[in-house]
Amino acid sequence: MLGYSMPLYIYVIEDLLVSMILLSSFVMLSSRWISFYIHAYGFQSFLIFVLTLIIGIEAQSVDLYIVAFLTLFVRTIFVPYILLKMIKKFNIKEEVKLSLKIPFSIISGVVLTIFAYFLIYRLISAFSPKIVVNAGSIALSLIFVGFFMIISRFTTITHILGLLVIENGIFLLSVVVVPTLPIIVELVVLFDILVTVAAMLILSMFMKMRTGSFSTAMLNRLVG
Amino acid sequence: MNMKIFIAIFLIIPLFASLSSFIVKNKRFAEYISLFSSSLDLIGAFVILYFVLNFKPVFLFNNAIAIDKFSAYLILLVGIVYFLSSMYGISYMRLAIENEKMTDKEFFRYELFLNLFALTMLIAPMINNMAVYLIDIELTTIVSSFLVISEVTEKSIEAAWKYILVVSSGISLALLGTILFYLSGNIPGSANIVSSLDWTALRLNAGYLNKDIALIAFVLIVIGLGTKVGLAPMHTWVPDAYSEAPSPVSAMLSASLENVALYGIIRYFGIAGRSIGFGYPEAILIIVGIFSIFIGIMGIIYQNGTKRLFAYSSIEHMGIITIGFGLGGVFGTFGALLQMLGHTLAKSTMFFGAGNFLHKFKTKNIKKIKGVFYVMPKTAFLFSLGSVALIGGPPSVVFISEFLIILQSLKDGYYWITVLLVGFLLTAFVSLLSKTGSMVFGKADDNFNAEKGDFSPFSYVPMLLPLSASLILGFYIPESLHSLLIGIVHIIK
Repeated sequence: MLGYSMPLYIYVIEDLLVSMILLSSFVMLSSRWISFYIHAYGFQSFLIFVLTLIIGIEAQSVDLYIVAFLTLFVRTIFVPYILLKMIKKFNIKEEVKLSLKIPFSIISGVVLTIFAYFLIYRLISAFSPKIVVNAGSIALSLIFVGFFMIISRFTTITHILGLLVIENGIFLLSVVVVPTLPIIVELVVLFDILVTVAAMLILSMFMKMRTGSFSTAMLNRLVG
Repeated sequence: MNMKIFIAIFLIIPLFASLSSFIVKNKRFAEYISLFSSSLDLIGAFVILYFVLNFKPVFLFNNAIAIDKFSAYLILLVGIVYFLSSMYGISYMRLAIENEKMTDKEFFRYELFLNLFALTMLIAPMINNMAVYLIDIELTTIVSSFLVISEVTEKSIEAAWKYILVVSSGISLALLGTILFYLSGNIPGSANIVSSLDWTALRLNAGYLNKDIALIAFVLIVIGLGTKVGLAPMHTWVPDAYSEAPSPVSAMLSASLENVALYGIIRYFGIAGRSIGFGYPEAILIIVGIFSIFIGIMGIIYQNGTKRLFAYSSIEHMGIITIGFGLGGVFGTFGALLQMLGHTLAKSTMFFGAGNFLHKFKTKNIKKIKGVFYVMPKTAFLFSLGSVALIGGPPSVVFISEFLIILQSLKDGYYWITVLLVGFLLTAFVSLLSKTGSMVFGKADDNFNAEKGDFSPFSYVPMLLPLSASLILGFYIPESLHSLLIGIVHIIK
């Protein structure tokens, strides 16, 4: 995105897409049900796929095509599928335990988004058009919201999803701000997602077998 | 021999060992193939070091692999701990199967992941592309989290979960920092584009990077990789993971993984320093280092668990090393590098000793372990010498390195750092010695009815080897090691 000059309608579409991405992260913040989270994550990843594809087509970059379709397969289809299957297998119907009430979560999300905007504005506004500043700040806000989700929810699945949202934010940032990033980086990040999700799922299965729950609220034995 | 083939074989050996031990499913075979592959890799590490020291840095596969003196030194440190841990693992795992009802499945999973863990750590210092390096660090996290749950208990699952969650989010911050470093070299409209993430290229063209972005990127890198190193305040996972992992794994986590992660910070330190000047990055490292020492000592003073004690001691040592790099100069950097070696040698001794105590006394509680000297004299002797070596008692290499770091702070005129360092080191000296002393000396409980005597030689020879190396290096640093470390000092600055 940065470094390419693009027609106006691309800018409009991109603004629309990134605002919907932001919306999907707020959907995650405001929901109580795990399957809701997973669907919101899949939707968010799909939007990122569309954005990457459009930028790839405009910039005529084969690397971005490959990355876009890998995003579609891994982030949009594979990971949500595995998580949903996991939920079905263990028959999880429990609500997510929240350490903060939902309205407060949303207010925190808004504050984090504004903070991300100022941070990105100070960093890159000197040399980049406004549209990149907007998209970059939303990408950074995804990272912050991901961290917020990890610290404010007590379920292993939401911890994994928090990490995945952080990863989405980093990916979005790299696509809109540095689209020339070597493809090897994107590939290893995707590989990393797969391995991390697999490892965390195995761990949470161990946890389910030992403690009978996916809740992380009881992980309080090791202190001092 | 062709260096390409040599490096390939060097990396295939641990992979082969892990897969074959998992396929053959014979316990004796699995133990000895790990020992064999680790001793081959230790020899290989020395060969690489010899080559780099006497000829030139190695660049292979289109510069994807870059091994200079610093990388070769790190590879050697990893190789040493891999060798010691796989030797000690023979004794530890036999006892775990005997006493703690470790199942065969858990044993073979341990052998599989132990060698893979060593492999990921041996690769990390060779990688030129910093993003790929970070992903490799992430892989070490995942592999070692399965080693932490070698024995599946509720506590070990908790430790592994904290470990993987905290470190993964840390690494993602470091990845963000790496992307920002790339952005800083790719500002549209600027005359010089640095379109690479190789540290060699970044270091060469550091002057062209955008200074503001490079600064933020370096802060993110310190936070992200600092999580992996265990620098305070990102250290929360360290005591849990180190205390719940089996002792050979604790030694590998503490003595080599921390060094491998610190290696990344120091590479970026060199790049950032060349771009924005060394003043600001040095200040960051010094502040983080002092805070880590403080947290480490607080953890040592109020500690009841043997392995948690040494985990906090690791945090303290990493703080000292970070301060050494942060102070810069020849003495500071030299001291920090030497401290890496001293930490590696002493900390593996201590974790092995703690593992022997665990098997004999069936507890990790310091207050319940008394009179080890009467129960297992050889382990107790090595353990008490090791604790003196660890905290920098005079005839050890840690003494020299800490002395050099303090000397550098005096030389630069940072007297407040000198005062703080000396105070902290004395506190650590007293508090750690009182803890280990209460375990080693005193009188064993009357109702302690386990059999007296040491375990097999595999349980104390891995303590003896690094300890004697640490003591010998305290008296005499060979010319080759000296010139190697001086070479690395010039690489970093």
